[in-house]
Amino acid sequence: MKNFSNLSVVNDKILKIKQLLTELEAEAEQFPALSRNSKRALASIKMLELNISDIVALE
Amino acid sequence: MNHQEYWNPVLETMPLEKLKLLQFKKFKRILNWAYTHSKFHKALYDTAGLTPDDICSLDDIKKVPKVEKSMMRGIQNKDPFPYGDALCVPLEEVSIFRQTSGTTGQPVYQPDTWQDWEWWSECWSFALWAQGYRPNDRVFLPFGYNIFVAFWAGHYAAEKLGCEVVPGGVLDTQSRILKIQELNATAMMATPTYVLRMADVAKNKMGIDPSSLSINKITCAGEPGAGIPSTKKRMEDAWGAKVYDHSGATEIGAWSYECSKQPCGMHVNEAMFLVEIEDIKTGEIIEEPGRKGKMIITALDRMAQPCIRFDSKDVIEWDPQPCSCGRSFRLIRGGVIGRADDITKVKGVLLSPAAIEEVVRSIDGLGDEFEVIVDKQGDVDRIKLKVELMPEVTRLSIENVLKDQLRLKTNLGYQIEYYDYGSLPRYEVKAKRFKDLRKKIFKEKECRP
Repeated sequence: MKNFSNLSVVNDKILKIKQLLTELEAEAEQFPALSRNSKRALASIKMLELNISDIVALE
Repeated sequence: MNHQEYWNPVLETMPLEKLKLLQFKKFKRILNWAYTHSKFHKALYDTAGLTPDDICSLDDIKKVPKVEKSMMRGIQNKDPFPYGDALCVPLEEVSIFRQTSGTTGQPVYQPDTWQDWEWWSECWSFALWAQGYRPNDRVFLPFGYNIFVAFWAGHYAAEKLGCEVVPGGVLDTQSRILKIQELNATAMMATPTYVLRMADVAKNKMGIDPSSLSINKITCAGEPGAGIPSTKKRMEDAWGAKVYDHSGATEIGAWSYECSKQPCGMHVNEAMFLVEIEDIKTGEIIEEPGRKGKMIITALDRMAQPCIRFDSKDVIEWDPQPCSCGRSFRLIRGGVIGRADDITKVKGVLLSPAAIEEVVRSIDGLGDEFEVIVDKQGDVDRIKLKVELMPEVTRLSIENVLKDQLRLKTNLGYQIEYYDYGSLPRYEVKAKRFKDLRKKIFKEKECRP
């Protein structure tokens, strides 16, 4: 990323990934490999939110 | 501005006013989370007649009751076992158990979810990146991987940065040194006590000059040594490496770090933590730089067992000068200067163990180890200082300068005992060099019929 001015575009992408992973986790109750890995990935997505989304929410 | 210097170039250079707005929003979020998910926090705030809605500005935060470590110990006797009712998530969400070392009493148990653990390593990532860790580093971790948090999150942060991590857990000191040599490790994380211990073993037992090894940076935590100039110099001279200070705690998280500019202090990670400094006598919150007080800290994103206005007892002060690194995260001058419960009155004078360490480690003819014992002779306080003379150094050549420096830096006189090099106890992790026997004498007197 060369430009930090458009964090809202980055944030949109983060929220899309979060949405997809949340759906995957919810749909995969009977498929532990899918649900647990989705959940773990969501923990990493939370770090993207702390680094980016919280800043965007200030604007 | 070179953005590569920062882990998060936006947060780390954010103007202070905007940073404070971010802290306020995050504080409200974690307060609301704790109030609605933890019986302990709800009861604490209800008793104070406070709800999250009452917090309308940063200034209102001081209305929120503080949490002391002793309260956490009490909580643990409640359900759910073993954490008690400060837990904000279902027990099955807890993925990692840690506990405090119990240095100041019964250990406190700390639950973390996987997200909390990601957050721990995220906080460490800010620190390691600021200290120059990069993907081409091979990082050696010479600590016991166990129930104590120690450098666990440093391990995962180094992985996250892309470094190659060598876990030097169940190896003895000599094996660790040989492994560093064999693998050309470039970085290391350890307590200051152990950094000096490793250098001593390498040099005096193995005939290896540690500065000839490939370590070029060392991150210290667990003790204040890397913030004490003379101790830092000893470590840097011994290893031929840059030594960086870092501070964290099991119940809090990794809240501050020294950057590569080595500004004689540490940056508070103000995007992840809210640090308040409280006057020890009056309880007033200190806003201005240059006044010491104890730290009250909030981890703004820790979820399983929140840390909200935790009375850490660490003594710190804001530095009036900004850092040349360009970070807007404020500096605390000299790092963690001491602990409110460590600073003790001897002969009516306030004494900080760190001040004695600064003197002993500044004198070349003295060894790294020392011991301070405070007791009473009749009704008069007495301080005994045990030091080691390096081989071929005479007591006469040291005596006057040691006494003068101690008097100058601490305003106290000492009964000094000199020992041969290697006589005093060696420590592997955290050292116990300060003993106040007066408390024991007092307790014994109290118990007599």
